[in-house]
Amino acid sequence: MKVLELTHVNKIYNSTEVKVHAVNEVTLDFMEAEFTCIVGPSGSGKTTLLNLIGGLDMPTSGEIVIGGTNLSKLKSSQLIDFRLNNIGFVFQSYNLIPVLTSLENVEFILLLQKKTKAERQQRAIELLTQVGLGDKLHKRPGELSGGEQQRVAVARALASRPRFILADEPTANLDTKSTENLLEIMEKLNHEESMTFIFSTHDARVVNKAHRVITIEDGGVKSDLVQQPH
Amino acid sequence: MKEEFKIAWRNLWRNRRRTLITSASVFFAVFFAVIMRSYQLGSYDHMINNFIESFTGSLQVQHEKYQDNPLLDYSFDYTDSTEAAILGVEDVVSVTPHLESFTLVSSGTLTKGVAVIAIDPVREKNFSDPETKLVKYRITEDAVKGLNDSGTVPEDVLEKVKGNLGRAYSSLARLELELDLDNDDGERFIPEILKWTEVPNGYLAQDDDGILVSDRLASYLKVGVGDSVILMGQGYHGVSANGIFPVRGIIKMPSPDIDNKLIIMTIPAAQKFFDAEGKITSLVVNLTDQSNRLIKTAKSRINLLLKDKSITARTWYELNPILYQQIQGDSQSGVAMLGILYFIIFFGIFGTVLMMVSERKREFGVLVAIGMQRNKLKRIVTTEMMLLGAIGLVFGLLASVPLIMYFHYFPIILKGDLANMMEDWGWDAVMPTAWFGPYFYWQAVVVGLMVVLATIYPLRKIGRLKEIEALKG
Ligand SMILES: Nc1ncnc2c1ncn2[C@@H]1O[C@H](COP(=O)(O)OP(=O)(O)OP(=O)(O)O)[C@@H](O)[C@H]1O
Ligand SMILES: [Mg+2]
Repeated sequence: MKVLELTHVNKIYNSTEVKVHAVNEVTLDFMEAEFTCIVGPSGSGKTTLLNLIGGLDMPTSGEIVIGGTNLSKLKSSQLIDFRLNNIGFVFQSYNLIPVLTSLENVEFILLLQKKTKAERQQRAIELLTQVGLGDKLHKRPGELSGGEQQRVAVARALASRPRFILADEPTANLDTKSTENLLEIMEKLNHEESMTFIFSTHDARVVNKAHRVITIEDGGVKSDLVQQPH
Repeated sequence: MKEEFKIAWRNLWRNRRRTLITSASVFFAVFFAVIMRSYQLGSYDHMINNFIESFTGSLQVQHEKYQDNPLLDYSFDYTDSTEAAILGVEDVVSVTPHLESFTLVSSGTLTKGVAVIAIDPVREKNFSDPETKLVKYRITEDAVKGLNDSGTVPEDVLEKVKGNLGRAYSSLARLELELDLDNDDGERFIPEILKWTEVPNGYLAQDDDGILVSDRLASYLKVGVGDSVILMGQGYHGVSANGIFPVRGIIKMPSPDIDNKLIIMTIPAAQKFFDAEGKITSLVVNLTDQSNRLIKTAKSRINLLLKDKSITARTWYELNPILYQQIQGDSQSGVAMLGILYFIIFFGIFGTVLMMVSERKREFGVLVAIGMQRNKLKRIVTTEMMLLGAIGLVFGLLASVPLIMYFHYFPIILKGDLANMMEDWGWDAVMPTAWFGPYFYWQAVVVGLMVVLATIYPLRKIGRLKEIEALKG
């Protein structure tokens, strides 16, 4: 089943003196339970593409359809609710609300979805246990390592039961061990929960774990390969 | 809602020091504003009550021309029926007839222009009650010397007595207050002190032909109880008036201005002296309290009752426009000062808000990106700001409560040069605080407004927030 469809998507930045064609005629489909990595040199347009997919930015032309909904048809506040219920986000850093504990951070997104207290707690504890933080439920982000914080972010992204999870360079600030650990957890969740992951990276070892690798250059898709993770 | 409050409360303490500094600035502003305002309003009330109780009353019924030309020619016939009608008006406590005029008083070679107030000695007890103002104790050189020679009080108590040399008191309570002895000393030595300071005094009988003289005037004229003075002036329709009057008593008026120039006699004696048979110059009306609203209502009701249209009711502030303007002017400059203080505090709050917003731009971006509606975020930030203002406000108000209560019942009595200066200006040197009133609650309104004003900025920022820009940090 298709979760996401991009057709002739373009993003042109006019703000600076030179026009920048950050995303150029991208047409892509993503299927349920895919584990896709987007790679490309710095400035190739990865972040721009992910922002468009995540409904954080609007394309100059082209269509992005998620589960039958065309993103450009939504008003600003509808878009926020759409993101809440359809897309999970993991950012490079500062993902979490610093004054809330791991448990409260994960519960928070369920609270936005107006889930009951019991439901929130159960799901949050379950997910935090799955990402290996069952013993750090009541720690605040400041008391966690970078890798642990990213794992909480993954648990939060998953908590809202989105159609897919977007992660722009989720391992950029992590050491080798934490990177491996985070990838393992993402893979496990992809496998066990059939969750679709779309992430970008610069790191060759991260690329190796992906099932599908999309290479971007100058805003356009250069190659789109299915591989055996190694 | 509960969750928003929790997040807001925790956010408040993210930068503990900054929150404490900001709250402390609000605290001190509120505390200072309340205390200062309370003292100001308290002093005004005190002064106004002094004036009303011992001189003008809440209202006076007079001939319409008397205000500008306070002459006996503008007196009117005193009738029981008018008086009874006024007494029937709501909130009126007492109606007291006065015959007031000016005259010269002389004793030996000393002469002075004075105000004469003629009263009904019994009925006046419902109004200014001069009997309670009779001087009972006086700390004279002789009293101090006698007390010293008797050797019955210790050095430190004697010092305190000396510190009040020259003062006269019409009540034991006031004497004790100004001597400021501790409980033990008070109990042991006050009786001894009274022995030396007590002075004989007397009041007017119903048809007395004697007079009461105010304390400062008596000491200027160097007269005491039992002496006589000569009064010379102009009576009704320009006849000349002269007479010798025995001094029956010395009264201490709270307002020094009045204490310098007051003579009290009975109405029949004055009518005889001024040749103004059956006339009075004013009916003093006192009300249950002195609020402007009450006074205005009573005034219009009384004016409706008065059949002779040349007779009219005037409020205490119409009778003393200069005092009233002085108070208004002083009050306004006090408010202006607080305005400046709050203005400075506002920029403190605003600075905190600016820093908070720039520090949390990225966080706001993340929250909206993952699906938090801007309005919810706005509510959290607003709650934070409210809490920030409320902490300083609540503690500032709470801290001022005991002080206001204490100094309301135990007012500061100024001494020394400052007291003399105030008395020269015609102010009684007592500074009570005003009881809690609108001025107290207004601080909450002011702080609330400052917070609302400071909150506009982050709310606009959140409203215009672009997720991708905020996420870049
Ligand atoms: N707001 C903007 N205004 C103008 N140009 C922009 C803007 N954002 C990105 N660009 C340009 O678009 C191009 C793509 O940028 P983008 O951030 O998507 O690259 P990236 O692949 O994520 O790079 P990196 O690997 O360094 O993160 C770059 O040339 C960048 O300079
Ligand atoms: Mg990027």
